[in-house]
Amino acid sequence: MAIILRLAWRNIWRHPRRSGLTIAAIAFAAALLVFMITLQFGSYDMIIDNNLKVLTGHFQVQHLGYLEKPKMRSTITDAQKMAEELRKINGIVDIATRANAFALLASEKRTYGVQVLGVEIMHEAKLSTIPGRIQSGRFLSDDTAQEIIIGDALARNLKVQVGDDLTLLGSGYDGSIAAAVLPIVGIFNTGMPEIDRGLIEIPLTSFQEIFSLEESAHLLVGMAKNLDHLETVLTQVRAKIPDSSLVVLDWNHLNPGLFQLIQADMINSWFMYSCLILIVTFSILNTFLMAVLERTREFGVMLALGTKPLSIGQLIMLETLLLTLLGLGIGLVIGGSVTLYFYVYGFSYPGMEEIGAQFGLIDVITPQLSLFAFMLGPTIIFFFTMIVGLYPALRIRKLKPVDAMKSV
Amino acid sequence: MNMKQFPVICRHLGKSYQQGKITIPALVDINLEIHKGDFVCFSGPSGSGKTTLLNLIGGLDTPSSGEISLDAQRLDKMNKSALANLRLHKIGFVFQAYNLIPVLSAQENVEFVMQLQGLNSARRAIKARAILKEVGLEGLEKRRPGDLSGGQQQRVAVARAIVSAPSLILADEPTANLDSHTAETLMQLLHTMNEEHGITFLFSTHDKLVMDYSKRLIKLRDGRIQSDETQ
Amino acid sequence: MKLLIILAWRNLWRYPRRTSIILIAIAIGIWSMLSMSAFIRGMMEQHVNDTISNFVGHISIHAPGYRDDPVIDHSMPQPNEHLLHLLNEKVWAARVRVPAVVSSERETMGVTLLGIAPAQEQALSFIADAVTDGRYLNNVEDKGIILGRKLVERLETGLGKRVVLGSQNHSNEIVERGFRVVGIFDSKTENIETQFVFVGRHIAQKMLQMQDNISELALLSKDRNELENLLQKLRATSPDLDIQTWQTIAPLARVIVNVFEGFLFIWYFVVFIAIAFGLVNTLLMAVFERTREIGLFQALGMKPHWIVGQVLFESLFLLAIGLVVGNLMTWVTLILTAEGLDFSRYAAGYEMAGLSSLIYMVLNMSDILTANMLIIGLGLLASLYPAWRATRYVPVEAITRT
Repeated sequence: MAIILRLAWRNIWRHPRRSGLTIAAIAFAAALLVFMITLQFGSYDMIIDNNLKVLTGHFQVQHLGYLEKPKMRSTITDAQKMAEELRKINGIVDIATRANAFALLASEKRTYGVQVLGVEIMHEAKLSTIPGRIQSGRFLSDDTAQEIIIGDALARNLKVQVGDDLTLLGSGYDGSIAAAVLPIVGIFNTGMPEIDRGLIEIPLTSFQEIFSLEESAHLLVGMAKNLDHLETVLTQVRAKIPDSSLVVLDWNHLNPGLFQLIQADMINSWFMYSCLILIVTFSILNTFLMAVLERTREFGVMLALGTKPLSIGQLIMLETLLLTLLGLGIGLVIGGSVTLYFYVYGFSYPGMEEIGAQFGLIDVITPQLSLFAFMLGPTIIFFFTMIVGLYPALRIRKLKPVDAMKSV
Repeated sequence: MNMKQFPVICRHLGKSYQQGKITIPALVDINLEIHKGDFVCFSGPSGSGKTTLLNLIGGLDTPSSGEISLDAQRLDKMNKSALANLRLHKIGFVFQAYNLIPVLSAQENVEFVMQLQGLNSARRAIKARAILKEVGLEGLEKRRPGDLSGGQQQRVAVARAIVSAPSLILADEPTANLDSHTAETLMQLLHTMNEEHGITFLFSTHDKLVMDYSKRLIKLRDGRIQSDETQ
Repeated sequence: MKLLIILAWRNLWRYPRRTSIILIAIAIGIWSMLSMSAFIRGMMEQHVNDTISNFVGHISIHAPGYRDDPVIDHSMPQPNEHLLHLLNEKVWAARVRVPAVVSSERETMGVTLLGIAPAQEQALSFIADAVTDGRYLNNVEDKGIILGRKLVERLETGLGKRVVLGSQNHSNEIVERGFRVVGIFDSKTENIETQFVFVGRHIAQKMLQMQDNISELALLSKDRNELENLLQKLRATSPDLDIQTWQTIAPLARVIVNVFEGFLFIWYFVVFIAIAFGLVNTLLMAVFERTREIGLFQALGMKPHWIVGQVLFESLFLLAIGLVVGNLMTWVTLILTAEGLDFSRYAAGYEMAGLSSLIYMVLNMSDILTANMLIIGLGLLASLYPAWRATRYVPVEAITRT
């Protein structure tokens, strides 16, 4: 084995320029794929994380049909008690209770229709980024407080500031008119235009009073410790909810666009990666082929000396393997370094912020540092080059010693 | 004495090669004059320097010392491009093998040099056909080298070498890859060219047949001229 | 010259297999460049067209302050005769456009109220052709309302039923009016279906007590590229109005175009580098195995730059054939996808990105030229290396080597 390895190694360096170019081609493709895939996965993590953290959470408990038609009357009775029960499940970060209504919000000068969210102060902070994105003023103080926070775009439209009063006008659970005058204590900015333009939050207990909800709410929003183990958590959640009129929905159901966006992007990305890999594969196929064709005479001599065609085939494959591994190694180092650099400093390009805001990419993307993301590209290249390497190796079997030795 | 009488003059010509740290002398202090219309044969064992001498005369290689001139032009003073020009217009080559451009037909190979010289295509074709006829290859003009026998290939090479009427034709082991009958025919052809057109020929060989045809036999040994006999 | 071309061409086919392999690489390269560009262009075109037909038009005219605060206070009179003169022969529409609230017996939603002149919108926005149930509005006096399908579901209302529309008048009072649903429209994007409701313009003006004033005027020009000229003329005529092109109104479309163009260019280079490795290596091999022949050329008096030329011609042929094949492949791809690439399985995802899930590939002449020129130009540049190597062989070595 040692001798065949040494032979293969030396054969590679018989044409240092050619082998160098081949290795460089493989390294180029590998480095590019490592960088692009880690970045791609990183951006997916970020899109999922940022989107879900704003409001959606990892999963929600709601009344059957509430997702399609968020009606005031589709409630969860004794929601906070149920939330308390669910918090006991191992693997859950927190559960927050929310109530939801449409209402008219009027300042002195303007009136807009908005989404009103009643939130549990204590728990909301762990599940939603909104409490952390207050630009001026502060977050809500207490579940019973009579106060309100609104998005910055909405504040602009209503021409109001922190401290101004807003009039809330909607219809309550029982069909009665729900009205209240509340002071603005904070203005938030999530970067997502729809939320900043059309959402306000008030404390849950106040919400229940204004909208005559009593102890009911509309949503239980939950976050699991690890998104990868969501299913096991959900099984336990489902077990704790006897009421068949309630459903437990994961983020994929709550926000189908998110998953589809990622899938659509995957398709585009893989089209690109396949093209790149194909081009590089064809680029290096010639090297492998030539390495065999120009040595016809040499192989003829080896055959004449009694070497089995299989051994020569092995030698060829070994040379291919060495070339590929060298290229992949160098590519991994370069791609890995670039990835690490962007992992530390973050990756950004002009225009990304504006586009990204739509799906929750705030400022910079951090590449995903996982073995899978690192190895995926190089592994695919490895298989492709090995398949390509088979072709010249198999040609050896066609060689006849006498003819081979005649050729120059 | 008119310089034209001596197309080639070598004065204290020397050439050495560097192989790693060792300097190998290939030619040492060669003094030589070759007359117009000569049919000269350099012979000697391998490593005697005959091919090196031929390469220097042909402008394929540059000397380490001394001077060499062709038609009163100093080859040792010329750059690559000027040498290429000189070879194009004054020298014809016949090598032992791989003489022809494989992707070109017999006629195109002959036309090649004329094309480099800038002759128009009608004149080229007429001249090439005439020359190929003269060397006995009528009817084979369209064949590529791969479809010609070794002897036929050498004839094409000869045709190409003489077509532009050079001052000098250099032939390095022209018969090495030919059987004796074919070699004999080729030498007769070259001899006729020498007699009828007055072209100067320089050979390097250790083929007895070639030496027998030559008018002047120069023997080389260890990079020096051992003997110089006119037959 | 002709000689070099013949030599290069014939040399190319000495090893048909090797030549074919590198040709495939070049062809796939250019194909991937062009189809990627056609896909992205298609997506961008679609996005821009959607933006324009979502009531932006090529140029929008508003009262100053409206774009920042789109309410009734920032309305303007109907176009005066100078403006009308410029608008002559252009497609244009004047609208009332204010935030409003729509309620059925069961639900209340925030929407954008559009008071339109139905005939004017015909060629300008999507709405005229989007009504799939019931009918489109007849004229500015039409007392009916058109809602999006999703909104109808949310409000639990339907054709023939009544909804109440409420908005603010100039004195900040809520004014309300009942409408009968006469039509339901469908849109590619759910947001559009829930955001817009349409009523006759006069009815809206009456309801909002705004006389014959309007919120915006949108117009289409025949040529999207001559907008700048038209914009200047419009601004000169009406210096007191806020007149902008779609690029300013919908800045995201512009940013997306820029980002994608940058991305395409990077992709072009990546593909080129991948091809270059193969090209340079193949030419190097060709030069290397032809050492003796190149030596012969030099012995026969061929000047070094002719030899460079020969290798470059060989490279040029390789590139040109590869490009022709690749361009043909792209052409076939475009024909096969003429019906549009259907990504409706991921519709919600595309919608999040503000894109349509049915994508028609669009290939720009300038993209074709850029991609092809890039490959040829840079390909020849990369070939200089093997070409230069070829001239470096000393003739003696070249010929005497066996």
